[in-house]
Amino acid sequence: MIRINRQKLALTSALLAVAALTASSLPAQASSDPGVTATSIKLGITVPMTGIASPGYNKIPGAMKAYFDYVNDNGGVNGRKITLVIKDDQYIPTTAVAKANELILKDKVFALVGTLGTASTKAISASTQLAKRGIPSLFVNTGFSGFADAKAYPTTFSILPSYQMEAKIMGKYLKEKYADKKLALIYQDDDFGRDALAGFKQAGITFGTYIPYASGSQSLPATGAGWISALKASGTEVTVLFGVSSASTAALANAYAAQFKTQWVLGSVGGDATTIAATNKAYVGFLYGAKGFSFAPAPTDATDEYIKLFQSIYAAAQPTQTFDNNVVAGMSNAFLAVQALKAAGSDLTRAGLIKTIEAKGASFANPFLTPLGYSASAHIGATGYWIGTYDPTGALKPDGGKYTVYTTDSGNGPVVESSYKRPAMPAKGLPN
Amino acid sequence: MIQFFNMLLIGIGAGSIYALMAIAMVLVWRSTRVINFAQAAMALLSTYIGFELVQKTGNFWIALPLAMALGALLSSLIEIIFIRTLIKHSTSGPVAGIVPIIATLGLLGFIRATIGFIWGNQNVQIPAPLSKIGFKVGTETIALSPMNLLVLLTVIGMVIVLGYIFQRTNLGLSLRASAYAPEIAQLAGVRVGAIRTLGWAIAGAAGAAAGLLQTVNGTGALSPDSLEFSLLLTFGFIAAVIGGLESLPGAVLGALVLGIVLAVVQIYISGTLVFIVAFVLLLVVLLIRPQGFIGVKAGRRA
Amino acid sequence: MLKKHPLLGFIFFGLVLFLVSNRVDELRVFQGATVAVYVIAIASIILLTGYSGQVSLGHGALLAIGGYAAALSRNHWGVPVWLAFCIAALAAALGGYLLGLAAARLSGPYLAGTTLALAIGLPSIANQFSILGGEQGLAFDIGLPPAFLGADFTQYKWFFWIASLAALIVIYWLRNVMNSRYGRSWKAVRSNDVAAELAGINVGRNKVLAFTVSAGLAGLAGALLAMTISTVSPGAFPLTLSFSLATGAVLSGITTLGGVMIGAVTLVAIPEIVDSALSRFQSSDVVANNLPGLLVSALLILTVLFVPNGPVEQLRTRQEHRVTQ
Repeated sequence: MIRINRQKLALTSALLAVAALTASSLPAQASSDPGVTATSIKLGITVPMTGIASPGYNKIPGAMKAYFDYVNDNGGVNGRKITLVIKDDQYIPTTAVAKANELILKDKVFALVGTLGTASTKAISASTQLAKRGIPSLFVNTGFSGFADAKAYPTTFSILPSYQMEAKIMGKYLKEKYADKKLALIYQDDDFGRDALAGFKQAGITFGTYIPYASGSQSLPATGAGWISALKASGTEVTVLFGVSSASTAALANAYAAQFKTQWVLGSVGGDATTIAATNKAYVGFLYGAKGFSFAPAPTDATDEYIKLFQSIYAAAQPTQTFDNNVVAGMSNAFLAVQALKAAGSDLTRAGLIKTIEAKGASFANPFLTPLGYSASAHIGATGYWIGTYDPTGALKPDGGKYTVYTTDSGNGPVVESSYKRPAMPAKGLPN
Repeated sequence: MIQFFNMLLIGIGAGSIYALMAIAMVLVWRSTRVINFAQAAMALLSTYIGFELVQKTGNFWIALPLAMALGALLSSLIEIIFIRTLIKHSTSGPVAGIVPIIATLGLLGFIRATIGFIWGNQNVQIPAPLSKIGFKVGTETIALSPMNLLVLLTVIGMVIVLGYIFQRTNLGLSLRASAYAPEIAQLAGVRVGAIRTLGWAIAGAAGAAAGLLQTVNGTGALSPDSLEFSLLLTFGFIAAVIGGLESLPGAVLGALVLGIVLAVVQIYISGTLVFIVAFVLLLVVLLIRPQGFIGVKAGRRA
Repeated sequence: MLKKHPLLGFIFFGLVLFLVSNRVDELRVFQGATVAVYVIAIASIILLTGYSGQVSLGHGALLAIGGYAAALSRNHWGVPVWLAFCIAALAAALGGYLLGLAAARLSGPYLAGTTLALAIGLPSIANQFSILGGEQGLAFDIGLPPAFLGADFTQYKWFFWIASLAALIVIYWLRNVMNSRYGRSWKAVRSNDVAAELAGINVGRNKVLAFTVSAGLAGLAGALLAMTISTVSPGAFPLTLSFSLATGAVLSGITTLGGVMIGAVTLVAIPEIVDSALSRFQSSDVVANNLPGLLVSALLILTVLFVPNGPVEQLRTRQEHRVTQ
């Protein structure tokens, strides 16, 4: 009797589940690409809004939305208003795939934009078959160079220069500037750091001390102190930090605690002075004189026309949030997306958008200070870095008073000083 | 030599943070036989309360005891409203082993989401009340700052006070009796319910101290998703398990061993191994002594 | 008829699933595949905890072993898909056997602590060996669906078929195991290990066996999970996965396989339902970010407080009550 009941229950619960699965019916398919009407474009982003990787990154969608709203208030893109659907992926690849599927299949977005994290981006691309379906994945936020490969990822466009490029440029700089000094490298022991190691090797740089750390362990209480202890013991004079910003904070906080002076060289990912300064003003003193690498204008540079515009848009949209590197990243991403959509013309299709970026992407207006590398074979965004020094207020100022840009590739190409000059911002910061 | 000395100090500094959390977990385990995974969220909430108090009063030394008191209150409310109902419904069978764990995980998520609702998902900052610059020995700045010292002294003070209560007072006797043999304790006139609540209250206070001190001792940044608190929870729990779960000195010992071992690995071997080493350490300790450093050999579980 | 012949019941249910998969849209098919994967993973926890009384908070790590084993064997040896899944189950079972040897010596909270530490420690190994592909992980491509299924047959439907078939086989097999000598010994060990020992059951060996079988199923689930996201990476097996699976097991009812679908469906459906509900309102970031977590946690708390044995067991007890009255 009992067993039968249990069985019945099992069957009922199963049927209930099936009913739940069928509950939403299939909407009618339109003939043109999904997510576009005469008056609207729908874009989707998966990003860690909660979870351990979210602090900082969870400002990106807000920044993007602020810029899209600004564009919408000024007439939109070819008469279409942009909506951004935001999904929280918690930085977990399985969740990212589930959310990307919701974006593609339920929300019917026209394109993905700003996907964050290498593992998540890879999983989304493979599982949802972006390439086969022709769904554009615009401007993924990861420094993994693989996404720039148009053969492997024909519909995906990267935006950041690769970690390897950064390490190559940094390596050349270290060689010229600090050849006779004792060097040390603190790096995250995963793909992020591995790419950097490869870049440094190409640049012919070897460090006296290598300090790898497991992703996440920078938040343990002893980690930063351990690094400083090791740096001290090896008599390090120049310390390169190629990690996330919580690692930079841990390093600077503990250098402060140990009163350990070194010439810091911060990579672009972890070199967000705004975040470090917000943690504790005392650390800013330790940042003073540190070298920093970036491809975008510094968020503190109010003389930059893009930064000025972004600051005013963001202040109106998110008055309680501080304006930092994450905001600049989100806004730049949104700007480039709008520029691409604008350039694709009023007859907007997915294939057309991809073709447009491949054909005209290299000449798109954008906030970055380095040239864009988009072409039919390479889907690479920014291709270089400028080098600066942190001033006593924690602002990164370009060395020599003006932005000098170095470019390179993710392969064996040389590092060259570029004569690139960023085109003037379009009127009101609205791409044309 | 100085590096070795510093390494010990770094390990002890980290260990004392884990110890505060481990103490809280041991107190809850002893009073109700529940592994409280919500401890991290409760500590986080108390720390946010501490943040508000620091904002309002501008004084950390007022905020810390108040946050601890509110942490104790919060913890006892959770015991009264939540844990009592839970224990009433699932005292035996396989559910008794896992349901409390799942329940506290649910509580963990609930409190964390509530914190997100109230304070948002961005960082807030709590300034440190004491200098974080290490003391000077000769010309050398050592890895021990006034702030580290405060954490260490808090741990030592807590162990002494709690040890005294547990070993030397009637209250301590009741606490132990209610944990080991609630029915008999009840018959002997011990108000088991109230005593259990007290155990939770003390744990809440210890957790609040752990959260607030770890935050100001670290970078000062606080967010509902902060990795520091997840790590505090897991490493505090690992320390408590190594120590034997039953004993406060065991918890502190386990925490210090964990802190020092991780510091050794970090400085002399490789920082990439810390998480796997924590597992191996736990496994090795438990295989040699399944009841932890200072644990009572588990009898037949009812 | 179905009552007397459970196998027919399972076949019938399989047919229903097959028909349904042709009727619903792609997103539901994908979610269905995820549900099937969770069914296996949750069943493995129910087997371990509900039937042998051991607690694991680190099943995510065992899923990871399965996922990596499947991807490695397929990428390096080019084994057929079904073999990759078998290898996944075997590799994880081996891991589970070793863990079980340690586990048999540990009681409740000590075992919980050990498995928790494993869930944190294991994924970081992926960065130690380049063959494991680091943070970005490895590709795991099971290939296109066979041509005879037609050009319209989508990849997700293929995933759904494979995962559902695996889930049906696993549950049917487990159901039989539970009614066998092994199942009875496990239950005896669970309810009273001293009495079981007296009755001539080797408690230690039974616990290890339960851990091994549970781990094997977890490994299969891990490989299937890797299939649904076509990759395997350390980030796909975070501590939250282990916690979600334990949660799903409790929602399903830890002592019976009968409700295993409930937990799996809940884990997949709740986030989406909350998401859809929220998208109808102009909700602020704070609400959108925190409401899903709040609701899932609240549901979990209510379940453990009021139906700690799970809804199925609850109904059964009530029915028993009525019968005795």
